[in-house]
Amino acid sequence: MREVYVVGIGITSFTRLEYPLSEIAAYPAMIALKDAGLSKVDHVYVANMASARANHQTGLASAVVDTLSLTPAGAEVIENGPASGASAIKQGFMAVASGLHDTVLVTSAERLREVNNLEATDIVASLSHPLAEYIYGVTLPSLAAMFTRLYMQKYGVTERHLAMVAVKNHDNALLNFFAHLHEKITIEGILDSPEAMTNNPYVAEPLRFFDCCPVSDGGAAVILASAEVAKQLKKPLIRLAGVGQATDTHCVHERAEPTDLLAVRGAAAKAFHMAGVSPADVNVAELHDAFTILEIVESEEVGFFKKGEGHLALERGETRLGGRLPINTSGGLKAKGHPVGATGVGQAHEIVLQLRGEAHKRQVKDARIGFTCNFGGFGNNVVCLVFKREN
Amino acid sequence: MVLEIYAYQCKKCGQLHYPFRMVCKKCGNKEPFEFDTVPLPKNGKLLTFTTVHNLPPDFNVAKLTLGIVELENGMRITGQLKAPSPKIGMAVRGKVETVREAEYSKNFGMVFYPA
Ligand SMILES: [Zn+2]
Repeated sequence: MREVYVVGIGITSFTRLEYPLSEIAAYPAMIALKDAGLSKVDHVYVANMASARANHQTGLASAVVDTLSLTPAGAEVIENGPASGASAIKQGFMAVASGLHDTVLVTSAERLREVNNLEATDIVASLSHPLAEYIYGVTLPSLAAMFTRLYMQKYGVTERHLAMVAVKNHDNALLNFFAHLHEKITIEGILDSPEAMTNNPYVAEPLRFFDCCPVSDGGAAVILASAEVAKQLKKPLIRLAGVGQATDTHCVHERAEPTDLLAVRGAAAKAFHMAGVSPADVNVAELHDAFTILEIVESEEVGFFKKGEGHLALERGETRLGGRLPINTSGGLKAKGHPVGATGVGQAHEIVLQLRGEAHKRQVKDARIGFTCNFGGFGNNVVCLVFKREN
Repeated sequence: MVLEIYAYQCKKCGQLHYPFRMVCKKCGNKEPFEFDTVPLPKNGKLLTFTTVHNLPPDFNVAKLTLGIVELENGMRITGQLKAPSPKIGMAVRGKVETVREAEYSKNFGMVFYPA
């Protein structure tokens, strides 16, 4: 297997975007091509989840490759729910590692704000089991909420811990120009004050408004290349060193231990094994905090902290900027935003910025190993990536 | 007519599954349709629950309570919950009722009440 490098990155603001979906994918791709100093690539992957239903567009990759005047390069859409982004990066990795291609553009786009908020909730809810979950009104927030209630009972996680994740990630997003939410929040304002129930109502008890990520439009791109190409481009050498994926039962109720996220555990273990590093070696990580609880639990399942102790590390400040292992320096899905199918590529964008030393005010000092966890469904399909700076 | 929700029992090893799957999770029996249908028990205890305030357009209610119930045979099911003050571990009893109605469709599913 050949080694694979990230040679270019690009991103849009994560927000409400008023231009066509194919341009949301093409714009960050142009930035990434410019960043890499390339004008052509051998192949294009486009990560997206909901174009058919939300935007009345199918075959998105054909539109994107032509918009970019990259024809006749091959192009495909990669759809793997909220993990589409990291899945597309995995496909790009395989294409370069195998020797089939030397340069691959992995771009992504989602535009769920073209439909109203309840319609968007329904589109995302269609990830759940059609007959055993969806028909009942199950939504992703409701699955996260039922999981949170069990986690609180078993491990002593409180609403205060969840709010600490939100406050931390909103603080980080204030340092990220491209983030969706530039809004300073405090524990006082969202939990303790008399106005807290108005500021921060329940969405799915015990999860409140500020425990849930916004619905964002946005796109992000990375360009993957062989060592031979990467070494000619004179960029910091960032290697995609580990790729891991694992699945779990479609229905949440079928999991033997309902507080485990085994696909996160499995995907991370495979990615670390391939990269030849351990969780303790990681300097900076982007975890899939679509709900605040998920940042805490993923930080345990990927091996940063012991099971049931993620909230304690959070309390000690280990995961904030300046801590031992900063998590979600971009603001995470919580505050940077969650353009569903593009999120995994957005996570990789942040890690590459960090490893290059280009993250400005939110730079983690001397970051050399970075990690992403992109979580599909409610944990039924997870892709983890490990990145290493080599020079 | 009594409406039921069915579990799927592997004809080879007896393993029960809910919902339906094509291949037995326990013995890997790969013969197609080698499952017997067995009605799920109605009684169980509440494993976890939530009240959802942000529902898809098909639901014309402000909020809805959902839960996962561990049935008396150990199997689990997700359903709607109609209980004034739900608590983890409470005894519940299920009835099969209409759970979702849209213009051209109607779904039946399990609705749990305090036992
Ligand atoms: Zn069997």
